[in-house]
Amino acid sequence: MKGSLTVRNIVIAGVLGAIAILLGVTRIGYIPVPTAAGNATIMHIPAIIGGIMQGPVVGAIVGLIFGVSSFLNATVPLFKDPLVAILPRLFIGVIAWLVYVGIHKKSEYLAIGAAAFLGTLTNTALVLTMAVVRGYMAAGVAWTVAITSGIPEAIVGTIVTLAVVLAWKQIGKGKKSKISEDL
Amino acid sequence: MPGQPVIEIENLYHTYMKGTPMEHTALKGTSMVVNEGECIAIIGHTGSGKSTLIQHFNGLIRPISGKVIIDGVDLSKKRIDIKALRRKVGLVFQNPEDQIFEKLIGDDIAYGPFKLGLPLKEVRERVKWAMDMVGLNFEEMKDRQTFALSGGQKRKVALAGILALQPKILVLDEPTAGLDPRSRNEVLDKIKFLNKMENLTVIFVSHNMEEVAYLADRVYVMANGSDVLSGTPEEIFTDKEKLQRYQIGTPETVQALYRLKDLGYNVDTAAFTISEAANEIIKVLANGEGENHG
Amino acid sequence: MASEFELSRNITIGQYVPTASFIHRLDPRIKLLVFTILVLAIALNTSYLGNFLGLLLSIYLFWASKIPISYGLSGIKPAIPFIIILGLLQLIFQGSVFSGGTVFFQFGFILITSESIRLVIVSAIRFVEIILLSSVLTLSTSTTELTHAIQSLLSPLKKVKFPVHEISLIITIAIRFVPTFAIEMEKMMKAQASRGADFGSGEWWRIIQRTKDMFPIIIPLFTIALSRAEDLILAMESRCYTPGNERSAYSVYKALGRDYIVLIIGLILSSLLLFYPFPF
Repeated sequence: MKGSLTVRNIVIAGVLGAIAILLGVTRIGYIPVPTAAGNATIMHIPAIIGGIMQGPVVGAIVGLIFGVSSFLNATVPLFKDPLVAILPRLFIGVIAWLVYVGIHKKSEYLAIGAAAFLGTLTNTALVLTMAVVRGYMAAGVAWTVAITSGIPEAIVGTIVTLAVVLAWKQIGKGKKSKISEDL
Repeated sequence: MPGQPVIEIENLYHTYMKGTPMEHTALKGTSMVVNEGECIAIIGHTGSGKSTLIQHFNGLIRPISGKVIIDGVDLSKKRIDIKALRRKVGLVFQNPEDQIFEKLIGDDIAYGPFKLGLPLKEVRERVKWAMDMVGLNFEEMKDRQTFALSGGQKRKVALAGILALQPKILVLDEPTAGLDPRSRNEVLDKIKFLNKMENLTVIFVSHNMEEVAYLADRVYVMANGSDVLSGTPEEIFTDKEKLQRYQIGTPETVQALYRLKDLGYNVDTAAFTISEAANEIIKVLANGEGENHG
Repeated sequence: MASEFELSRNITIGQYVPTASFIHRLDPRIKLLVFTILVLAIALNTSYLGNFLGLLLSIYLFWASKIPISYGLSGIKPAIPFIIILGLLQLIFQGSVFSGGTVFFQFGFILITSESIRLVIVSAIRFVEIILLSSVLTLSTSTTELTHAIQSLLSPLKKVKFPVHEISLIITIAIRFVPTFAIEMEKMMKAQASRGADFGSGEWWRIIQRTKDMFPIIIPLFTIALSRAEDLILAMESRCYTPGNERSAYSVYKALGRDYIVLIIGLILSSLLLFYPFPF
């Protein structure tokens, strides 16, 4: 059953949690694309994948591990605040799961993509909301960051999640290799 | 016939995590020469420095102290064309099938050539050649999905992915580890073909002495971060005293021949390939039982 | 640069520095509990005096743990530019939100009040406090101790069917696999570099291209991790591991007198920070 902690859920949550920690402590967690921060983070993607593959509980637990790890490793004051670093992360996988379950009967691709997009936006939106609530940022600054960082990050998140989940679920369009086309 | 030296390593040292509590010296003065067209085996225990050594060959690790010259390029120089070096030296890691990430076989093998910026036509030719080399049918396999392959086929795809770069020197870290016997023999034959027919210089790390006996022109034995022994397989496998000192196994054929010799039979212990050893044993059988006991 | 790819060895999670101080010897459950409550109390306190006391306390705890001060400073030093930038941003933009108190300066939309200055200073001090406290926790407690502490602190929740054992097993698996995956990732970076990969070299505005440049590492990393997971699931199921069963603990902590004293002091200080109306 999805939701309760089966052996499968426990192990997958643990393994995805390990990746979340690993992405946080190496530079692989950041993709150098134009955002306000100079790169897009993909550290939250294990939480999204956990939500999509194993349901909301796994999604929330992986998010928690990601949050605690980002709190402990933080070098910016914003994330040394547990209310900013940890709390918002619990919802990433849950939202991703809700979106996925809502759409996946129509299209698996669309469901995974939308879940990743909205899961990433959940991360951005909730972290920035907490940052405003806690007084680290003014609302205007937060909106600017949301738009300049949130959108590229959501695009990156969608591409990566789709690639990983499709590779793992071994779903592939019956297309031809790039070298098959005659040009 | 072996030609010019293409790899020259002299008194190479390497220390991981220098200046931290986790500091660990992996290479302590290793030297090695590989000539063009040779097939070299590197053997030694886990932790003897083999992997660290071979990562110097294509500049993944740069020499801290000592000399590394690859095809005339001195790697201790600051500014070298690292991409050109990696094109020249194809390095196949252990379990290379892990590195397959494209959905389709053709795309994965084409990854390297595309990264070189080659035109599509040439990429396709290289992929076709590489697939031929490892025994995968181009037309039949190029549009197949990578995940559906068996372990042995995945290994061939990964090998083709490196060959498609058309390297001069092929370096393999335990190329047959974890393969079933049939795939193992196939991969060994492909390597031998590349070395003998396509004139690639081959360097491989192995724990399997049968493989070493089958492929290698010369052998380097590593222990505790340096090369302690080198020579032809005959020289290495017949030096019983040193083999024992460095705890190196020998091919089963050599073990069998030594057993026969210990029992007093007149056999040539250097006849370590399967067919030579078989001939030696047949000779013993033909000469009758108990002839030279004592 | 010899260490272009040397990342697995750089990873320090729960980097344990054994100095055998009394903080090291504290019952990990009490340590974790007091740490959590203290961090929350500090995070919610907005007074100068409260945070000053918190700072003194964190410095004292750091000193008491006998951990070299360089460990604490190494967490703070790289953050100094961020602290300054954050402070400036807060000073410029937050005046209208934290508009209470005396107005010191007003120009256009820029409004600097005693409250916005308080915000800047308190945020910076709070950051230093939490850096020091979390360093003390992670440097003086091994990951095994931490996992046991989490499990044991959560165990009262078993009564409301909260899966305590399962959660701590997840944490154990996560911590256990980080070094393994780090090695795999290092190998993957080297293997892909060997066939001509370069990471993030395309034009910076091409988001999709730059993301795809990372596929040769990211996709194998997840695939390797998930197939390790499948192996582990099989191994656990074939040994008849069933979640939710009663399990015997293999490591039992016994809180001593000094642990209780620390707990009580921690609780008093935390509630002081939380509820005492500091005059300024």
